[in-house]
Amino acid sequence: MGAYLVRRLLQMVPLVLGISVVVFMLLVMAPGDPVDLLLAGNPRVRAEDIQALRKIYGLDDPLHVRYVKWLANALRGDFGYSRTYKVPVLDLVWDRIGNSMWLTIPSFLLALAVAVPVGVYSALRQYSALDYAATFFTFFGVSIPAFWFGIMMIYVFAVVLRVLPPGGFATPGVAPGWPTVLDRLQYTVLPVVVLSLLQMAALTRYTRSSMLEVIRQDYVRTARAKGLRERVVIGKHALRNAMIPIVTILALGIPNLFAGAPLTETVFAWPGIGRLIVESVGGGDYATAQVALLFLAVLVLVFNLLADVAYALLDPRIRYD
Amino acid sequence: MAGGGVILVLVASAVLSPWIAPYPPTHIDLANRMSPPSWKHPLGTDELGHDVLTRLLYAGRVSLTVGFSAAVASALLGTVVGLVSGFYGGWLDNVLMRFVDIMLSIPDLPILIILARYFGGSLVGIVAVITAFGWMGTARLVRGEVLKLKRTDFVEAARALGASPARIMWRHLVPNALAPVIVAATLAVGGAILTEAALSYLGFGIQPPTPSWGNMLQNAQDFIWRTPLLAFWPGLMIFLTVLAFNFFGDGLRDALDPRLRT
Repeated sequence: MGAYLVRRLLQMVPLVLGISVVVFMLLVMAPGDPVDLLLAGNPRVRAEDIQALRKIYGLDDPLHVRYVKWLANALRGDFGYSRTYKVPVLDLVWDRIGNSMWLTIPSFLLALAVAVPVGVYSALRQYSALDYAATFFTFFGVSIPAFWFGIMMIYVFAVVLRVLPPGGFATPGVAPGWPTVLDRLQYTVLPVVVLSLLQMAALTRYTRSSMLEVIRQDYVRTARAKGLRERVVIGKHALRNAMIPIVTILALGIPNLFAGAPLTETVFAWPGIGRLIVESVGGGDYATAQVALLFLAVLVLVFNLLADVAYALLDPRIRYD
Repeated sequence: MAGGGVILVLVASAVLSPWIAPYPPTHIDLANRMSPPSWKHPLGTDELGHDVLTRLLYAGRVSLTVGFSAAVASALLGTVVGLVSGFYGGWLDNVLMRFVDIMLSIPDLPILIILARYFGGSLVGIVAVITAFGWMGTARLVRGEVLKLKRTDFVEAARALGASPARIMWRHLVPNALAPVIVAATLAVGGAILTEAALSYLGFGIQPPTPSWGNMLQNAQDFIWRTPLLAFWPGLMIFLTVLAFNFFGDGLRDALDPRLRT
């Protein structure tokens, strides 16, 4: 296992480099470089100044030179400055990831808490009313546009009922400590529900089908034949085995929570990593976009690895050497 | 199969929109901006005085066109890659499948946002961008089918008769692998419509004044305190359309795949 882990981690290095090249090229070659954007705001800049600016930013260097410069700085821990926020990119991205965690962790837990019991029950009582309701819910969850669902939730809970804030991150002027935490929680309710919906729907479906498969296995029949109580048969023999593929789905779903965040965070004006990506790509803040996107890519790779490791730990039939 | 009926109605209303819409798509009624539903404007008007019903119908054309084109293009690309990969095997298969793995592990929405900066705005551009991230599932599916079919007797027979690889692929492999591809493509229409709506909502997709369900939502959110219905209709259309395609695709899978019947 140890050797396997080391090998997989080493394999990630060229992959991350490859992704950083692709992201860099995509960003740099997009129409509208930083100087163009500067000029759009101030058309009276002189031609010499444009030349000087392009030289300072290194925009006239060939693409590979620019990438190597970026990489050399990045390896020394210098990811540049955000053009929009005038702060080091790394600080900005860390900050925003922290904000996103307020949404991703609770929505992950919420999805898990709803999907697994519903999926299990749905499988145990196949073709019951609840099973049909759950199946309809999964269709509903994968078909509804997350941002529209968000807008409708804002309408119901913020505009009509006025019980939750319509968006944002914190109420200005709230005392630090517990009041701040409670205040923050109010803001997280709606985005968390919206963000978890898709995950919840997919997870319910997987849990149901995995459970359906497992309860037909011989070892479940054996457990029943031994005269074990139904609780033990389901909880110990069936559920544990059904959870093996679910763990993989879960691990692969976590990066999706971050990747799907641009929409939810935009709807609720939440200053997280997803919103930062939308803003920085749209506003030509490439240094920021590069790091934020790279973070997402690394997250995917890390969780892919975690999924494989968890799989091996949970299923004794699988061994990596 | 009820999904099929809904799809027919949606397609018909999109195709017929120039005849059934009460106004031209960019007609502006300045005197009646953000008006509630009335006889003159059945679903009211938006902040510029566009008739919402008209915009919804014309936006349906855009969204459905994007959905169908992207799904068909993804299915074609995926089929070709899967065919080649499964049929020839070896290093080519390795390279193509590793590429598929990489594409699948990239979180698509952020990359789509970047790509949309290049091609955004135009219909063809959006279709190309969505296709670029939509073909991998089909490729895996077709490859799997081809690997299975390659060992069947009728393919061996065709090979023994001296059929060229192109003929084997086209006449023997493609028709037999078609059913799951059609199911995947149907489900992909819904996915593509959702993606287009998401990009347009974020402002990177179809640009106003061309209406799309996504960009209608973009402005509507700002007016949720005054005219909440403005945000309700476009989203409902997206939801119903995607739901219809998902149900239809699911029904199609049950109908076309006898192995799933119990």
